[in-house]
Amino acid sequence: MGKSIAVENLRAWYGDQLTLKGIDMELEANRATAIIGPSGCGKSTFIRCLNRLHETVPHSRVEGEIRLGDEDLYRMDPVDVRRVVGMVFQKANPFPMMSIFDNVALALRLNGIRRKRELFERVEKSLRMAALWDEVKDRLRDPATALSGGQQQRLCIARALAMEPDVLLMDEPTSALDPGSTLRVEELIEALKSSYTIVIVTHNMQQAARVADRTAFFLNGELIEYGDTATLFTKPADPRTEAYVTGRFG
Amino acid sequence: MLVGLADLFWTVLAKGVASFHFSMLTTVTHGIAGGLQNAILGTFELILLSTAIAAPLGILGGVYVSEFAHTKSAAAVRFLTEVLSGVPSIVIGYFGYLTMVLSFGWGFSALAGGMALAIIMLPYILRTTEVSLEQVPRSQREGAWALGMTRFQAVSRVVWRPAAGGIATGVLTAIAIGMGETAPLLYTAGWSSLNPTWQLTGHQVGYLTYVIWTYIDQPYPEAHALAYSAALLLLGIILIIHLVVRFLVHQSTGSARRHSLASYVRWIRSHASGVSASSAKRASATSTYRIRTR
Repeated sequence: MGKSIAVENLRAWYGDQLTLKGIDMELEANRATAIIGPSGCGKSTFIRCLNRLHETVPHSRVEGEIRLGDEDLYRMDPVDVRRVVGMVFQKANPFPMMSIFDNVALALRLNGIRRKRELFERVEKSLRMAALWDEVKDRLRDPATALSGGQQQRLCIARALAMEPDVLLMDEPTSALDPGSTLRVEELIEALKSSYTIVIVTHNMQQAARVADRTAFFLNGELIEYGDTATLFTKPADPRTEAYVTGRFG
Repeated sequence: MLVGLADLFWTVLAKGVASFHFSMLTTVTHGIAGGLQNAILGTFELILLSTAIAAPLGILGGVYVSEFAHTKSAAAVRFLTEVLSGVPSIVIGYFGYLTMVLSFGWGFSALAGGMALAIIMLPYILRTTEVSLEQVPRSQREGAWALGMTRFQAVSRVVWRPAAGGIATGVLTAIAIGMGETAPLLYTAGWSSLNPTWQLTGHQVGYLTYVIWTYIDQPYPEAHALAYSAALLLLGIILIIHLVVRFLVHQSTGSARRHSLASYVRWIRSHASGVSASSAKRASATSTYRIRTR
């Protein structure tokens, strides 16, 4: 089941450059939250702090507090954090020298699931959740690179779901996909959000409006406005939000 | 330069083919004549030893520099690697002579020769491993980390795979370089006209480059025949290794990766041949002196 995330005064740097300037935000459990904003506003950095991937970049730094349920994320081992906070990237990044099956099974094996039957069941379940099973069930041993771009992205979603995380982060998951594949991924988010806390970064405001329960607008490393998606798009409180959602900049 | 290469190639090929007999593969050297079996087996033993030492160290070192080292220690290892690859091979030979042959009391031996070759091979293996790993996109690492893999798991399960062809290329190139070395072995392996005893220390061991290096200076046609045959054999083996390398580089996926890896392999080759050619000259001067004064 999903867990809520509470972010307090989160600040993040790349070298000397302050990318997030003190973010306070509550992300509700089992909801989809969209992060929107122009390029360079810090929205990717924000979700990369949520699974502690930001700190893997050389010369980066993070301050502030993030609570996952009632645990302090920055007091946990980052490896443990990433097991309960899954992530899907902008560009599908399946492991190219591995089969479709192994792409999903790898992380399970590393977590001690060795029995073939159990492994197979978990892989099938994940691929079904990612709505990919019917397309790949007869060629699980094929290399992952044999799949189309949209299928590869759904494979990456399956790979993340196999870990049964509490939170699923998605960094512009459809920006490299065609409209058909985008639709399938959006349907997937719709289906998954009842059991996962989903945070999705998107450039596409229609997408935010379609899939997210709540939406946050970031600008220059600050959280400008955060509320119900419908309210934020129709009656934004801040003039900058209004300017952005009506397409006057960004 | 091409003309020189063609001339060299033609000389070795023509004279080598003319003087080569298959019986050389099965007889040992007698004085200035006989066969090359002892040298072939000796080269094989030396390469086996040096690869067994240099490949694991070089690969682990490359993985460390690329995946684990903080930027400063990575830079330090990288710098030391470059220094090491720039040290003339005769210096490594003499260093081996002072330490392994004399101080450690190993005498002229397969182990001393193998270690000296390993020191020559190590920087190439380390650098190619590092370069191959760095060409694996960061998105692969992030994908692995995001699944809760440790850095070690990410390298050992995911990142090495696309780099494997490049790493194998580096090891093979280093083997080809090691096979062609003379200078570091003159001071460490010695020479023996008997087949190797497979004892690591205390027994001198023959090798192909010694035959070329020594016998070409002798005033006897039998000695020249041996030298050219040895050169032909080495040329053939190294050619085969480079063909395998080409094949591996070609096999590696992704054209961008292929180009940069191929150009790096070319750089290594030119660099290595430059070093060994100049140090061979120095080797010739020093060791003639040594032999005469003895």
